[in-house]
Amino acid sequence: MGGGAGTGAGAALGREALAYVDSLHNLARYLTGNASDADDLVQETYARALKAAERFTPGTNLKAWLFRILRNTFLSAYRRERNNPVSGGLDTVDPAAQGVADDHWLRDDMELDRLRKIVAGEIEAALMTLSDEARTVILLDLEGLTEVEVAQVVGCAVGTVKSRLARARLALRRQLKDYAR
Amino acid sequence: MDCEDVRTYLLDDHRGQLAPELAREVRAHVERCAACAHDDAAEHALSELLERRLPQHPAPLALKRRLAAQWPAPGAARAPWWPRWRRAVAPALAAALVLAVAAPWLTGRLPASGRGDGAQALVAEAVNDHLRVLLSEHPLEVESGGIHQVKPWFAGRLDFAPVVPFGGDVEFPLKGGAVGWFVDRKAAVLVYQRRLHPISLFVFRADGLPWPARGGERIGGVDAYRQTARGFTVVLWRTGDLGYALVSDLDPKELATFASKLVG
Ligand SMILES: [Zn+2]
Repeated sequence: MGGGAGTGAGAALGREALAYVDSLHNLARYLTGNASDADDLVQETYARALKAAERFTPGTNLKAWLFRILRNTFLSAYRRERNNPVSGGLDTVDPAAQGVADDHWLRDDMELDRLRKIVAGEIEAALMTLSDEARTVILLDLEGLTEVEVAQVVGCAVGTVKSRLARARLALRRQLKDYAR
Repeated sequence: MDCEDVRTYLLDDHRGQLAPELAREVRAHVERCAACAHDDAAEHALSELLERRLPQHPAPLALKRRLAAQWPAPGAARAPWWPRWRRAVAPALAAALVLAVAAPWLTGRLPASGRGDGAQALVAEAVNDHLRVLLSEHPLEVESGGIHQVKPWFAGRLDFAPVVPFGGDVEFPLKGGAVGWFVDRKAAVLVYQRRLHPISLFVFRADGLPWPARGGERIGGVDAYRQTARGFTVVLWRTGDLGYALVSDLDPKELATFASKLVG
């Protein structure tokens, strides 16, 4: 973290910024797909947070602000360089490509049965096949962020968060169909 | 309301976040539409899958240490950890330290009992104590093998018997405990977890603290005071001679659910 730069401002953010490191790391791990990139992404996120500290308004949502920095850092620094076939190629699983209602093939009687048999590794692998954005929206929702906060992090209109989340979860269910036996 | 609308609202419905009118409409549709009924059940199953089985990846300790070392200290005063206090510092001095450390965040000194913003001071204290737990390298002195292991551990370490009616469950596992401070007195610290969100419970003697006159909220059988500060939700209540402070960055609704389990 760049020496003395932003030291006073960093103090203004408070050490509570560090209290979110586990949540940030979890998202970083699911965005980058591996442990060492996740560490670097979190480290870089905090470095950028320190540099931008004077732009943070005390009393506003520090957690959402940090998540936004993490996402932007990921988009600018990591995504471009990646040639990881999993996260790159399968980004083509576009949750918006199919309407929510015309998924009859998904809703056979076996789906609930299958969902209940999914194990940890399978849900993780299925999540990794979704687009970065779908993954992010699902994880932020799981983190307990509100729609307003998710919109802040992802940089979309608040009104679209609900449908983005619904589509992302449907895409996840489609993927899980292939995992469970 | 068509199927697509209904499916967009299912999650909010599961979480009790829909206005009553809208919730009734959604439920009515689900009852007469087989496809949406299926989605309703599948979304429930998916939530359960994500909440219970999706692997969580907390930051490794080495990364936490690195970040903590690089993060600028707030002024000259660095937050001391409890273990250091316990070894070297008398309770009165510790109370002074609490205030010194908290100074940038507290709006004023701890007011006299019964004064208006006493609750603010208790909330600020609770958040600071929670952060101290989170930022400590070794927050837990006793790792949990269950409440039956943690409770006896407190015997002889406190000048009161902490009453903790809830020992954790699958959704809110108990991680462990420690002895800490709340303002000027010893406290039993119990740390639970919900997914990646740590939850600190402080149990301490209630007398002589500036409790809010009115709770404003009934949780279980007690009058509780709930406030959000700096991204954390704090729930304060008293039962008999004991005071309770519950702190987490968890969704306030989930924390209220947890509080109702604790109140018993
Ligand atoms: Zn329908």
